[in-house]
Amino acid sequence: MENATLPQTVTYTGASLLFEVLQQHGVEHVFGYPGGAIMPIYDALYDSDVNHFLCRHEQGAAFSAIGYARAAGKVGVCFATSGPGATNLITGLADALADSIPIVAITGQVPTGAMGSDAFQEIDVFGLSLACTKHSFQVSDVNDLPNVLHQAFAIALEGRQGPVLVDIPKDIQLAQIETTLEDFSRLTNKVKLPPANVGSAIALLSSAKKPILYVGGGVGMANAVDELRAFADTTGMPSVSTLKGLGAINPDDEHYLGMLGMHGTKAANLAVQECDLLVAVGARFDDRVTGKLNEFAPNAKVIHFDIDTAEINKRRAAHASILGDLKVNLPALEIPLSIEDWQSQCLAMKHDFAWRYDHPGENIFAPAVLKEISDRMPDKTCVTTDVGQHQMWAAQHMQFQDPSDFLTSGGMGTMGFGLPAAIGAQVSRPYDCIVAVTGDGSFMMNVQELSTIKRFQLPVKIVVIDNAKLGMVRQWQDLFFNGRLSETDLSDNPDFVMLASAFDIKAKQISKKSEVTDAIEEMLDHDGPYLLQVKIDAKENVWPLVPPETANDKMMESTHE
Amino acid sequence: MNNYQLTIKVDDKQVVLERILQVTRYRGFLIHGIHAEVNTGTQLGTVVLQVHSERPISLLIDQINKLIDIKEVKVDNDVTAQIVG
Ligand SMILES: Cc1ncc(C[n+]2csc(CCOP(=O)(O)OP(=O)(O)O)c2C)c(N)n1
Repeated sequence: MENATLPQTVTYTGASLLFEVLQQHGVEHVFGYPGGAIMPIYDALYDSDVNHFLCRHEQGAAFSAIGYARAAGKVGVCFATSGPGATNLITGLADALADSIPIVAITGQVPTGAMGSDAFQEIDVFGLSLACTKHSFQVSDVNDLPNVLHQAFAIALEGRQGPVLVDIPKDIQLAQIETTLEDFSRLTNKVKLPPANVGSAIALLSSAKKPILYVGGGVGMANAVDELRAFADTTGMPSVSTLKGLGAINPDDEHYLGMLGMHGTKAANLAVQECDLLVAVGARFDDRVTGKLNEFAPNAKVIHFDIDTAEINKRRAAHASILGDLKVNLPALEIPLSIEDWQSQCLAMKHDFAWRYDHPGENIFAPAVLKEISDRMPDKTCVTTDVGQHQMWAAQHMQFQDPSDFLTSGGMGTMGFGLPAAIGAQVSRPYDCIVAVTGDGSFMMNVQELSTIKRFQLPVKIVVIDNAKLGMVRQWQDLFFNGRLSETDLSDNPDFVMLASAFDIKAKQISKKSEVTDAIEEMLDHDGPYLLQVKIDAKENVWPLVPPETANDKMMESTHE
Repeated sequence: MNNYQLTIKVDDKQVVLERILQVTRYRGFLIHGIHAEVNTGTQLGTVVLQVHSERPISLLIDQINKLIDIKEVKVDNDVTAQIVG
């Protein structure tokens, strides 16, 4: 029959249908690991055009899917088998939930008839998913599968983005279904947001004398970087950013004061503490941002822009809330302000408290290395980090042109994120430079993914900031636990250069300031993957630091002059 | 401690009750009564929850509303007047 308007009914198995639907949603790459209960899906993969990246641990697959999603602004997809495969995904799902990252995780499940019998490799992944996904599905009839999969993609992307899990029993993967697959039923956004309260917000904005723009990860997720920058330009407001917001404001914007919060810049934190209006855009007053909540920005009224109603008044009451799409709502408030005195006060603080890179002795100063990498890396480089001191130094001393150029585990603070996230980023942006900044503790948490780099010859640049310690924990033990260094020594780590060479990855170790520039150039010029081990003094701390439950203006600062 | 009664209309999908219970516990509300009509074979289910907490009920309402299969959440007693907004 030639008539193209008449939909053809095709017989699929659940497994082959999965790949049809993935392709309908534009999925080209998936990250995963096979096993018994997902074998029909892997069998269908064999005939599919979807590229599968075999990771070496399901956690690696989940983080790679996250890195892919964040670097490309698309949905990331990962596969795992039932039982231990599924539980290994859980940390990745939690990470994606905390940072609102759209991923779809497909897990195999034991056959429907065996479910609930403590079958081999059976775990109630659906039950586990309740606490760590935006939504989850367990498919009990193959005829539901197309719609469930469409919904999974729609839910991952709509409103505040997040992870969705689809658990598919093995018999459903094998079952046959006749369908036209024409029915691409999208969920309509059920949350009808009330009209934005623009009037009162404009009144607050135009009467403010000391306003601050507080930028969060929501800006990048809403694809509203241009609108935000236009808003910052027109209003001339001094701005600060959260960890996840970095890259949203142009780092060269003269009124941009840097990151706020526990390891924020002094200028950013002092300005926020003094402001009379806080314009929060896609930010959620996280405890790492606010310090002691009831002393955070104590004189400020709040205008809160968000897509998620539940964030309004959750931790800080808003005087005006503007719910909905930032791309629409930010321009509605774009008015010029006359705040010259406040601008110059903030500029003076920015100048007075600028970062200093002078550092005594021959030992390498990690902030200076990261700044130099940032200065030398090509445009559109995407940096991932792990968690700890190196993460905070990267956030403080590197500059990003877009939020999709800085991938870090913010809400969950998950060690082991950096390497697999860099793999996902490299897959989604094959021609961009991808740099993973990691610590000697975090690196070892997903070190098996060096195999994935080797297999696919991904030219990821890995910078291990090596203090032979769990540095951030060691810093807290020194500062807040009387220097009782409990279980934070890593001086018996393997030789990272030798380790890299076991995966055919070129590597170099440096430990002196004089070696830094050449090593960075060599790394950035190298065509393939490269590991640069940067030995630093174990005693270096991240400054400034706002101690826990303390107001943000009472930060501790570096003592060395 | 404030007591509240929520009436929640749900799209009658699998485990919607479990989802509501999980969110309620996680957000710091103790359940002291529940009546649920779910898995009815119709599109609509109803869950009535009696909870108490020191936290404002608006917090729980917002979080339950975020669940995908929720149609409507209503607070039945007017204890809310003092905490919303
Ligand atoms: C999975 C996980 N376990 C434990 C922690 C707690 N933690 C936070 S930072 C840190 C130390 C990280 O050490 P390293 O990766 O070497 O980075 P450094 O702080 O030395 O730069 C630890 C253990 C965590 N964030 N994630």
